[in-house]
Amino acid sequence: MMEDQEEKGNAENGIGRQKQVKDEYLLQFLDSLDGYLTLLDSLSSTLSQGWLELASARHAMGASRINGALLDLKVHAAATSLKVSEQDVDSMESQPCFTLCKWASSDNGERSSGEEKSLSPQLRHRNNSQLSEEKVSTRTGTPLILVDQQRQKSLSVFGVLVSPKLRSAQLSFERALETLVEIANLHTTMLSMFEQVHKELENTNG
Amino acid sequence: MYGFEAMTFNIHGGYLEAIVRGYRAGLLTAADYNNLCQCETLDDIKMHLSATEYGPYLQNEPSPLHTTTIVEKCTLKLVDEYKHMLCQATEPLSTFLEYITYGHMIDNVVLIVTGTLHERDVQELLEKCHPLGMFDSIATLAVAQNMRELYRLVLVDTPLAPYFSECITSEDLDDMNIEIMRNTLYKAYLEDFYKFCQKLGGATAEIMSDLLAFEADRRAVNITINSIGTELTRDDRRKLYSNFGLLYPYGHEELAVCEDIDQVRGVMEKYPPYQSIFSKLSYGESQMLDKAFYEEEFHYGVFFAYMRLREQEIRNLMWISECVAQNQKSRVHDSVVFIF
Repeated sequence: MMEDQEEKGNAENGIGRQKQVKDEYLLQFLDSLDGYLTLLDSLSSTLSQGWLELASARHAMGASRINGALLDLKVHAAATSLKVSEQDVDSMESQPCFTLCKWASSDNGERSSGEEKSLSPQLRHRNNSQLSEEKVSTRTGTPLILVDQQRQKSLSVFGVLVSPKLRSAQLSFERALETLVEIANLHTTMLSMFEQVHKELENTNG
Repeated sequence: MYGFEAMTFNIHGGYLEAIVRGYRAGLLTAADYNNLCQCETLDDIKMHLSATEYGPYLQNEPSPLHTTTIVEKCTLKLVDEYKHMLCQATEPLSTFLEYITYGHMIDNVVLIVTGTLHERDVQELLEKCHPLGMFDSIATLAVAQNMRELYRLVLVDTPLAPYFSECITSEDLDDMNIEIMRNTLYKAYLEDFYKFCQKLGGATAEIMSDLLAFEADRRAVNITINSIGTELTRDDRRKLYSNFGLLYPYGHEELAVCEDIDQVRGVMEKYPPYQSIFSKLSYGESQMLDKAFYEEEFHYGVFFAYMRLREQEIRNLMWISECVAQNQKSRVHDSVVFIF
């Protein structure tokens, strides 16, 4: 009798733990979905801002100074690159992890905070891109002046003396690129969580 | 009345002054801008513009429209009007009208040289050039490797030749050198135009000296603001400012050392004409240009003022079109300059 009760108790504890694990996966999936949708919205508004700033720069400087015909077709190294690596989620599977290497042609190759973001699926709120740049440069030791030089170099296709609106547009598109990488990482996390939830449901039904 | 222009101006300039005053009456009004700012699509803008003088230029454009198409077609109207005035003009008005286009010529030269440096196709670059700044040998610019060749092969036979004396070096063309060349040419052009107007004398000299002084001052402010945070040194910056204008010479000395926009504002606010209009520099310019039509008759300033007002109107149309196309109508009033 006592043994029966003990077995029944153990079974109930096991079921409870399973339910807790399922709830945890479900919560993580919903969190990642919420973060994903928020980031999509943020990307949309950042891109809108960037395009309007670009139009404002064309308005200030003239269409002959800002147009696609001035972009450099000479072979040159990319200023920014994307690194894809495999991150182990558990012993059975791994998921891709995206890292943005901004202004990689500079001497120290500044790494964006996207690298830290790729390890955490949680949403980071951006207040001021310049403030985050300062924090990154402090962490990595890359002088901000090198980053500014690289930015000016990439804008120099439109001339050396460009409108502040064009510089703002550049920063907006930089932020958009970082957000895209965050979205990609969150998307893989979300899909991974979805598969976990799906597996748990199948186990329960099976 | 500055001289006895009323007695002699109409002999050679009367017809064209009447023409340009007629053109001026065709500029868009506040009601037109109100209608345009409420458009939902670029086709709506085309529909509203069909009731204006731009109508014939846009009516055959197929949908979907692009903002660059609207700007190109509106610019064609300006070019047609300019060419009509130029072919009817006699000296010295014809030279005066040609001076108005040298700025566009400089922009086209820099566009071709920069595009060639970036290995772009010449035909593609020629399509982007402003029609008012075209000249016969412009395509040959793609061959030059440095400024000396640029001058020797092409520009020596153009009206820009005299402005090149300060630019001729054997240094290769790179982004910084091209920028310095652009601004040095423009500085020389403005100063030459100023001297030409002074030689004409009378009402033309008086009115044009104010308008060109404003242009020189606006250029100085733009150069200052755009060079903040760049590798352009203070001495190089000072060299790009024109040697006339309200800000010359003391304002230029202060602008040359400015490190941010607040310092620039501080410098400008010391000059009463610029105190209240610093934030609305373009609006102030439009007011000055429009005054040239009303304050005096029998001078060439009306032609310069009309060209600048039309160019401002085209920029307004470009901005309104971009805001409508990007669904940002709330931002329309950020950059539209109302002329009336």
